[in-house]
Amino acid sequence: MQYALLIYEDEQVYGDERDNPAMTEIFAQHMAFIDEIGAARISGSGLAVTSSATTVRTRGGAQSVHDGPFGETKEQLGGFYVIEASDLDAAIAIARRVPLLKDGSIEIRPVLG
Amino acid sequence: MSPGPLDQGPLERVARQDGGRIIAALAARYRDLDIAEESFAEACAKAAAAWPTDGAPDQGVPRDPAAWLYRAADRAALDMLRRRRTRQRLAPDPPSPEPTIEDAMADNANLIPDERLRLIFVCCHPAVAAEARAALTLRMICGLSTAEIARAFLVSETTLAQRLVRAKRKIAEAGVPFEIPGPDAWAERLDAVLSTLEIAYAKAHEDAAGAGPHAGYAAEMLKLTEVLARLLPNEPEALALAALVRYAEARRPARLDEQGAMAPLSEQDPTAWNPALIAAGEAYLRQAARFRVAGPRALQAAIHSAWCARRSLADPAPWPIVLRLYDALLTLRNDPVVRLNRAVALAEVAGAAAALAEVEALDGQALNSFAPYHAVRADLLRRLRRIDEARAAYAAVLALGPPPAERLWLERRMAGLNA
Repeated sequence: MQYALLIYEDEQVYGDERDNPAMTEIFAQHMAFIDEIGAARISGSGLAVTSSATTVRTRGGAQSVHDGPFGETKEQLGGFYVIEASDLDAAIAIARRVPLLKDGSIEIRPVLG
Repeated sequence: MSPGPLDQGPLERVARQDGGRIIAALAARYRDLDIAEESFAEACAKAAAAWPTDGAPDQGVPRDPAAWLYRAADRAALDMLRRRRTRQRLAPDPPSPEPTIEDAMADNANLIPDERLRLIFVCCHPAVAAEARAALTLRMICGLSTAEIARAFLVSETTLAQRLVRAKRKIAEAGVPFEIPGPDAWAERLDAVLSTLEIAYAKAHEDAAGAGPHAGYAAEMLKLTEVLARLLPNEPEALALAALVRYAEARRPARLDEQGAMAPLSEQDPTAWNPALIAAGEAYLRQAARFRVAGPRALQAAIHSAWCARRSLADPAPWPIVLRLYDALLTLRNDPVVRLNRAVALAEVAGAAAALAEVEALDGQALNSFAPYHAVRADLLRRLRRIDEARAAYAAVLALGPPPAERLWLERRMAGLNA
């Protein structure tokens, strides 16, 4: 079996700037954690703050692009893709093609790198 | 930058006139709105020190002040990027060379590329918060100050500044491209731009008095829609929007009566309208009409055109045409605003009872805090002599705190109920 571990935290605890002691500290801890679990880790990455998020929403067959993270409580996280795209428009174009059985939302977040 | 129209030295003049183009060119070149704004501000500060503020005209002012500002800003932007890289402990680029004599002598006419269209698409990207798009466009393209935009949007300067900071950060962090969208996304993205400008103009139009900060802001909307129409001469909806804004602005002088109350369109004296703006609107609408597609903005412009064709109050009001145009608009935009406007025309053509039936079919609960809903209802009930209901509807609009000119008019109508 493979599992996805989805990390939920209050992003406010890291402050506004990426370059800060809290970030450095947690980064070191993640490095230690990766060492510790060894081959059990297949892949993973941090995500940029939710203020950088864009959501492509599908409702009744119509798609629309919105600022901000996914905010519906009636839909649950069902999977994820990590993609390579030249910019947000290219990412949106791919997000529009993600299969959905009916309605749904695809949240787009830059991966920290 | 000072917002006043009077104290225009050479720097203020060029910043107002060419600032948007310079900032857009910088933003497109460095793909960073903050760098564009900050480097332009630095160039203006340099100009303020180097150029004379008064005295002999043109003495010491460069032959092409816009090109001077662009070059100075460009150097400042490179310095900023270099400092940023040094901070991030990356190897800095070598310093940029000082401009050569050839640079200074070069024909400046084509020096500053016109990247405003790209920048408009960035500012109106659907990934930018809807409430920030219009403000960001006015800031970046028109160079309006945060204070000016805050006044027009009726929010505090701090709130507006925060919105702008968040929007710019979003654009940078999410990787919004500084590109004109491709054919796949074109229709949707263009619509986002046009809707943003419509919202921005609605803010300018709300104030019937137009004597306050809105007057200058409306002038910026004339400029902005002109720029867009010039950049997109094959987009009928962009042309129609330019027409729309001109028709609406043409009527500004007639929007208030002697007592300062709002004058409804049908009661405005057409001889007070601005004929030059009407002619400019007609020219844009004719251009748009060549494409033979009646989009929502073209239909709205056509409604304005029908009204502006009236030469005096003795001419009959164009209600039957207006109703037909609203019928067409309704097929494209079935929203409460269109349905309410259509009901107003229907009342004139088919009677108040028919119009009220249409209004009562709307979701009153959802429209409870929407002033035009109560205002239209109140007027129809008044005409049908359903006095108590009309009074309650007028009270509902007044409770929503309309602008003074509208309040005065509503109060007058409400007082007339007993006559």
